Amino acid sequence: MPSLADSKPISWAEQVEAGEDGSLPPATEDFDDHNNLKTITEYKYNDDGKMVKVVKTYKVERRRVPKSIARRKNWRKFGAAESDPPGPNPSNTIVQVEEINMQIILNKESKNQDQAEEDPLSKLKSQKLVSCRICKGDHWTTKCPYKDTLAPIQESLEGGDKKKQDDPGTPVGGGSSSTPASGGGSKPGGKYVPPSMRDGASKGRGETMKSARDESATIRVTNLSEDTRESDLQELFRPFGPIQRIYLAKDKNTGQSKGFAFINFHRREDAARAIAGVSGFGYDHLILNVEWAKPSGTS
Amino acid sequence: MKPILLHGHERSITQIKYNREGDLIFTASKDNQPNVWYSLNGERLGTFQGHNGAIWCIDVNWDTTRVLTGSADNTCKLWDCETGKNLNTLDVKNAVRSCGFSYSGNLLMYTTDKTMGHPCEIHIFDVSDPSQMKTGEPCIRIPINGPKITSAIWGPLEQYIVTGMEDGEICQYDVKTGEKIHNVTEHSKQINDLQLSLDGTMCISASKDTTAKLFDTSTLDHLKTYKTERPVNSAALSPLQEHVVLGGGQEAMEVTTSSTRIGKFDARFFNLVFEEEFGRVKGHFGPINSLAFHPDGKSYSSGGEDGYVRVHYFDNEYFDFRFEF
Repeated sequence: MPSLADSKPISWAEQVEAGEDGSLPPATEDFDDHNNLKTITEYKYNDDGKMVKVVKTYKVERRRVPKSIARRKNWRKFGAAESDPPGPNPSNTIVQVEEINMQIILNKESKNQDQAEEDPLSKLKSQKLVSCRICKGDHWTTKCPYKDTLAPIQESLEGGDKKKQDDPGTPVGGGSSSTPASGGGSKPGGKYVPPSMRDGASKGRGETMKSARDESATIRVTNLSEDTRESDLQELFRPFGPIQRIYLAKDKNTGQSKGFAFINFHRREDAARAIAGVSGFGYDHLILNVEWAKPSGTS
Repeated sequence: MKPILLHGHERSITQIKYNREGDLIFTASKDNQPNVWYSLNGERLGTFQGHNGAIWCIDVNWDTTRVLTGSADNTCKLWDCETGKNLNTLDVKNAVRSCGFSYSGNLLMYTTDKTMGHPCEIHIFDVSDPSQMKTGEPCIRIPINGPKITSAIWGPLEQYIVTGMEDGEICQYDVKTGEKIHNVTEHSKQINDLQLSLDGTMCISASKDTTAKLFDTSTLDHLKTYKTERPVNSAALSPLQEHVVLGGGQEAMEVTTSSTRIGKFDARFFNLVFEEEFGRVKGHFGPINSLAFHPDGKSYSSGGEDGYVRVHYFDNEYFDFRFEF
């Protein structure tokens, strides 16, 4: 059981002076009757040779326990602990200072996670990553076997619609329409019409207009793990539609992700589907959070 | 919660047991000194010195007077708990894998490994008979044909011993006749740990096949399965709530390829009835080898490959947590 302190308080200055002689000042014990806290103040030299003050606070409790337990508490220590003083020996008993909490995993979240996992994966599987513009086969356009026969007919029908797309593949969401564009394309025997002036082309400042409008097709994804890269985000969001821009917030010095990113889709409905599809999706060891980006946030 | 770290062993922990009243924790490790600690504040009471090899198993009788340890140095030793003195040494032909006192403390059993031409056996002694203890001749010796026993516990009424085998089988051996009463094969790989519930009617088996299964002790009916992705080294049933805790490891191959983020090995809590995981507690630096609940269910201890024993006292959230169904 702890002993009551009987030393008078020594001022810090005196203690430092005592230390300058080379000897450590004595350890003091303080007993706070009101709160039942016992404080032991010790001095020792740390690794750098500097004198360090170590303050240990113990809570003294009185407990009622069955007789046998109380008897056992009074047993003498044996074996390797024979020479230990009463109370826990700090070399083998350490109270962890950082709190460790039980991470509660609710079953509902994991169920959603499973579904979300399946959806983009199944979308990826069902969607052709490479498709030919001419015959919609699983090959690049230039490698199409029907290049000579179908190609001219296709071009006359679809006009300038293809020119807008970034990738050679045709995504499931944004299917190119087959509406005949009047005066569009290179009609055999017709005058050449530049793409920007064809029907269906975005007029003049189409790009800037689009980018201003597209801020509404921007989503913010948070709770990314620190080793996520732009390519991961590209892979993850590509199934929902063509992406205009990806901005992943990175720490300048380490290059690690700060945990959030902004994805600009070309179309708002793709962005909406991305929110529905990726939100709650488990990526790496974290569950992603996807929502509309607030307009002032993206720049 | 702020776990108390007990660092009394230099090598990995093999088993942790609480005594019946819960105030002492007995820890066995691959270093040759079992330790005993006060569970309240983690203060070390003492160590048992005398073994020369890794201690595979440890058990304490109901009134905390005798401690039994089984070791890889081919002996099983009986100790006095208060003084740490070695009362008896039973010489065995092989390493002792699991040991235990029966419910009354009158009988003790241990199981041996299957090596060096000697088959795996269960030896049962009567503690109160001094002649047996002196000569080291077991009063009952049950040889086991086939796969070796990797884990064994007494049945609740001292009538049979439930054993887990290397191939995933769980068998019941009658103590009086030595016959195999029952066996079931539900697991596909070896059973790492077997533990009884508080009243002894159910037992949970932890297996290398990444699952833990709940069985009825007397009929060996398979009741529940708890799935994880890692081999389960130990599983324990909470005496207070309908929870099960599983602790496991990692396939050896994965160790070098996975990141060494500190303390990411976790103990997983499952609901007993719904078999669904509801919580994880991180902290160990290596796979968890043994888990034990305090008899009052308000705390538990885990021992890992890192040699640390962590004693956790549950927060109020644990007791308030209600599983929604």
